[in-house]
Amino acid sequence: MSCDEMSRRRRRRPRSPPPPPAPVPPLEDDNLLSEILLRLPPDPSSLPRASLVSKRWLGLVSDPGFCRRFRLHHRHNPPLIGFFEGFRFQPTMDPPNRVPDGHFSVRIDTGGMFRNFGSRHGLLLTFHGTGNQLLVWDPFNVAQHRVAVPPGFDEKKHFISGAVYRAAGDIQHFQVVLVSAETDELQHRQVIARVYSSETGAWGDRISTPCSSKLPTNMGFSLSVLVGHSLYWLFVDISTGRVDGIVEFDLEMQILAVKPMPVDIAKEKQGKFQLMRAEGGGLGIFFLLKFSAQLWKMETDSDGVASWVLGRTVELDKLLPLNLEEEENSEEEECSEEEDNEFPFPGIQGFAEYNNVVFLWTHIHNFTVQLESLQFKKVSRTHMLARYHPFESAYAAGTGIGGGHDGTKLLHNT
Amino acid sequence: MATREAGKKMIMLKSPDGMEFEVEEAVAMESQTIRKMIEDDCADTAILIPNINSKILSRVIEYCNKHVPTTGATGAAASDTVAPAALAEDLKIWDAEFIKVNRATRFDLIQAASYLNIKGLLDLTSQTTIDTISDNSLEEIRSFLSTKNDYLPEEEQTIRRENQWAFQ
Repeated sequence: MSCDEMSRRRRRRPRSPPPPPAPVPPLEDDNLLSEILLRLPPDPSSLPRASLVSKRWLGLVSDPGFCRRFRLHHRHNPPLIGFFEGFRFQPTMDPPNRVPDGHFSVRIDTGGMFRNFGSRHGLLLTFHGTGNQLLVWDPFNVAQHRVAVPPGFDEKKHFISGAVYRAAGDIQHFQVVLVSAETDELQHRQVIARVYSSETGAWGDRISTPCSSKLPTNMGFSLSVLVGHSLYWLFVDISTGRVDGIVEFDLEMQILAVKPMPVDIAKEKQGKFQLMRAEGGGLGIFFLLKFSAQLWKMETDSDGVASWVLGRTVELDKLLPLNLEEEENSEEEECSEEEDNEFPFPGIQGFAEYNNVVFLWTHIHNFTVQLESLQFKKVSRTHMLARYHPFESAYAAGTGIGGGHDGTKLLHNT
Repeated sequence: MATREAGKKMIMLKSPDGMEFEVEEAVAMESQTIRKMIEDDCADTAILIPNINSKILSRVIEYCNKHVPTTGATGAAASDTVAPAALAEDLKIWDAEFIKVNRATRFDLIQAASYLNIKGLLDLTSQTTIDTISDNSLEEIRSFLSTKNDYLPEEEQTIRRENQWAFQ
């Protein structure tokens, strides 16, 4: 039908949209009730509790489609449910949102060297060095994917790192980005990256950016941090431990860039660094020097040149209860100031990017510290060199009779 | 084409109880349902909005009027002159006042927001409903939403056992 015909018809009576379904109160309409239930808090106890209201509610909140939409709806405000250390899950929230220890733990059916690249958008990315492949694991759905490391990335020659993410508005597919370094025939060094899409099942083109000639031969990467629509890694000279710069990968433009470290701290070998989201947005650095934590913010001028500004400094020994005697026996206050100097300095064990929470090791406890409010909390104690991979996601895990996740499914080839 | 002010195209919305509302096209297009109709069509007469009475439709239009991205005399977005944060804060306060309605009206608004596909209004009305119930006990939720508990005691126990940690 042409526009003219449509106009003639319409002149006779007003247009009307397609008829809506017969009017029923919103809570009796499954679609509308689902829409309302999507707004339940993203905390782990929300859906299990809601499922007890009635069988109809149970049916709605345990629907796989609803679970996906629930996680997507809360993508930008996920709770910090806990962390993975290796493949073992440990909770960080208080009851009733304290998911049990090991709830998401996975058993691996192959041996060899594994290294977690981190967790994001409800997925955990692990590098299986022995098999030269990547494992992407969805702890909620027991779904695992194995992806072969593409040509050009060889851990034996240059360290590799990676990150997993889902595109904005997408809850079904995921992307994996791998980064590494390489040297061409003319001894020019560059950072390289490739992106895998689960939708196409293929790796995209190789992306590269040159970096300064003084880049170390033995270069490694930190874990990634997502800030805005870019992923960031620190790159480190493995032989000296010196941090040399920051790799930026813009997820929208799919381009790589190398950014400088703050001049004042770049040479500080004793320091410990964590990339973070700065106050008011943008890239930041959490820099630990002895018991002092400095919060730096990157600013970019109109010519696109990045520089660093020091924001707050937090004295961790004043913020955190680090006094062993006070902690264990508050009636006896025998500890002298001098003893502070004998304590080992705190270390960084992980960072939760959406919650802006840093995991700190100290000689007395492990703590999480929220970097805006400086609220801190004790978490399970592990050894000093352990790396924590925070798991931030709305909790929607097939709630319901027989729908629970047994957490023991074997990894298998897909 | 009906025009009230130069450059501003007007649309007539009709409720089933016979009321007519003349609104700017930009305001009406806050509704994705209406936007799609306008974009797909080439004629411009009144649009009948079924099942949404004039009382609710007028509230919906009031919401869209407030939330439509406004343009100043030069055509520049208002957010160029007013700080975005201040604008957002102003809208938040306005929304909080707007949603102070009884339960029946709020449910009618949810229905209208869903049918007309107005994301902001659906967020506001649904979130307010969830906020009202989320701290309540199961019994209070059931009574507030007029929902009957249809579990047998042993079924309820099974669900509690499955996720025992969530009920501590």
